[in-house]
Amino acid sequence: MKKYITIIIIFLSVLLLISGCANNEEASQQKITIAEQYGLAYAPVQLIKELNFLKAADPDLEVEWKQLSNTTSIRESMLAGEVDIAFMAIPPFLIARDKGMGWKIISGLSESPLGLMTNREDINSLADFKTDSKIALPQPGSIQHILLSMAAEREFGEVDRFDEQLLTMSHPDAMNALLAGREVSAHFASPPYLFLESREEGIKKILSGREAFGGDFTFIVGVSTEQFYEEQPQNYSNFLEALGKAIEFIDQKPDEAAEILADNYNLEPSEMRDYLSWSRMKFTSKIKGLDKFIDFMAAESYLEKNSYQYSELVFEENLAGEKAILEEGASQNEE
Amino acid sequence: MKSKYKQRFFWGILLAFIWQLTAVSGIFSELIFPGLDQISIVLFKSLQDGTLIKQIAFSLSVIAQGLFLATIMALLFALTAYFSSTAAGLIDTLTALAHPLPGIALMPLILIWFGSGRMAILIVIIHSVLWPLSLNLSTGFNSIPDIYTLIAKNYRLNKFEFMYKILIPASLPYFISGLKIAWARSWRALISAEMLFGAINSLGGLGWYIFQRRVFFDLPGVFAGIIVIIMIGIVVEDFIFAKLENKTVKKWGGLK
Repeated sequence: MKKYITIIIIFLSVLLLISGCANNEEASQQKITIAEQYGLAYAPVQLIKELNFLKAADPDLEVEWKQLSNTTSIRESMLAGEVDIAFMAIPPFLIARDKGMGWKIISGLSESPLGLMTNREDINSLADFKTDSKIALPQPGSIQHILLSMAAEREFGEVDRFDEQLLTMSHPDAMNALLAGREVSAHFASPPYLFLESREEGIKKILSGREAFGGDFTFIVGVSTEQFYEEQPQNYSNFLEALGKAIEFIDQKPDEAAEILADNYNLEPSEMRDYLSWSRMKFTSKIKGLDKFIDFMAAESYLEKNSYQYSELVFEENLAGEKAILEEGASQNEE
Repeated sequence: MKSKYKQRFFWGILLAFIWQLTAVSGIFSELIFPGLDQISIVLFKSLQDGTLIKQIAFSLSVIAQGLFLATIMALLFALTAYFSSTAAGLIDTLTALAHPLPGIALMPLILIWFGSGRMAILIVIIHSVLWPLSLNLSTGFNSIPDIYTLIAKNYRLNKFEFMYKILIPASLPYFISGLKIAWARSWRALISAEMLFGAINSLGGLGWYIFQRRVFFDLPGVFAGIIVIIMIGIVVEDFIFAKLENKTVKKWGGLK
């Protein structure tokens, strides 16, 4: 008798779980959830929030902003159907796409300077790293990790040359460790940490993201799930329009944008202005370097598939443009 | 004893069956609910190419080291507390302060003071084990019947003989139950510390293995790591500790 009761309880809880999931999906129909991360490369997204671009497009739309601390948790929330639109670097997007996650790129967001910063006097190039000097970066499979592997491949022909000496740390933790000079010899930083570190004495850049990649590349792209694209085309279009407006605003009126965003980033307006106009900091919806990332990551078996149609990776309705622009970006990279 | 394993086996099979049925039915996407076939393939592959074995060995070696160091420290603490009431006050205060504090809460401090390698994980383990173990040991020492200490006096045992022949054997049940708590706490602390500290890319233990699978969007891999953690937990609690109890306190009649 007891056995049957237990079995019934188990089945009931499974049923409850299923119905719980169904409810979630229904709830997300009436609103749009956007995941945000901290970093200067996400400035246009912050601008959408500050200037209420989405409310302007549709006053009835309920917008939820979710602050998540890393790409992996954003990816997982999207998989759970809790987040509709998010922003991240190309490699983590490709890894999940390759594993079969139903999502695509909606637009490029920014190009950004990245840099491998070291606090050690005796390190002037990648070749100077000894096996016991640790390099901090956000996580394996992140754009920083892929860029480092690209540089290792080019200079030494060994993709995994530094893999044994990587430390997984968030940017703020890594910056603290680098400044304290403990444990960490180098940090693959993105702005604003890159800018903050480059102002410190005794810390220098030994490799830029551009050198590692061998050309220009898009740092952050916007992504959305196929489900959201198909089920809420109006909200999708509204968001795309708002994003386009925000990118244009930052590109054309950087001073005004800096004024608006300074509070958001806890910076002085003048500092914010410096950062937004830093050389190679560029806000554009074009996507550069997608092909090269795919080629490299497939060759080094981060990805299983090595060729993708543009339409498999980017939504038909997007801000990045047709394939032609992608190829133009790729050919620039080969120069 | 036998029927316990029979029951577990039965329920385990049933749960696995339900799991597989749910996975195959396609209610959930394969990405969020992988089938047991996928999980076992990844588990087998990781075991075969040595990546998982390496991580298991790392985790077990860190925890063994941590448990050993913490046990010695706890013994020293409890013994000094037993023989000196001033020290007892100090150790009692320290324990009261540190015992309720999860090791993970100390993470930012540990990161700054000790960096983020093996050392940091070791500190978290020692912290999570030291306090409950010394509490248990102190309780054990203090609950020894007076008659034992009187016997020691009769035989004119010196302090070391008293410790070695009476104090420690008499409080062994407390020591072993303390060790059990210590194991349980340190095993959990170990896995979470490994996940958080992100240790060193190649060698970071089982927690790191799970984190790495997660980052590369490999859910079957995550489950493979979880299964290994469960297995090790069962083996240690059911076999090693059960054996230890049978061989010592149960045999000596210290435990009912």
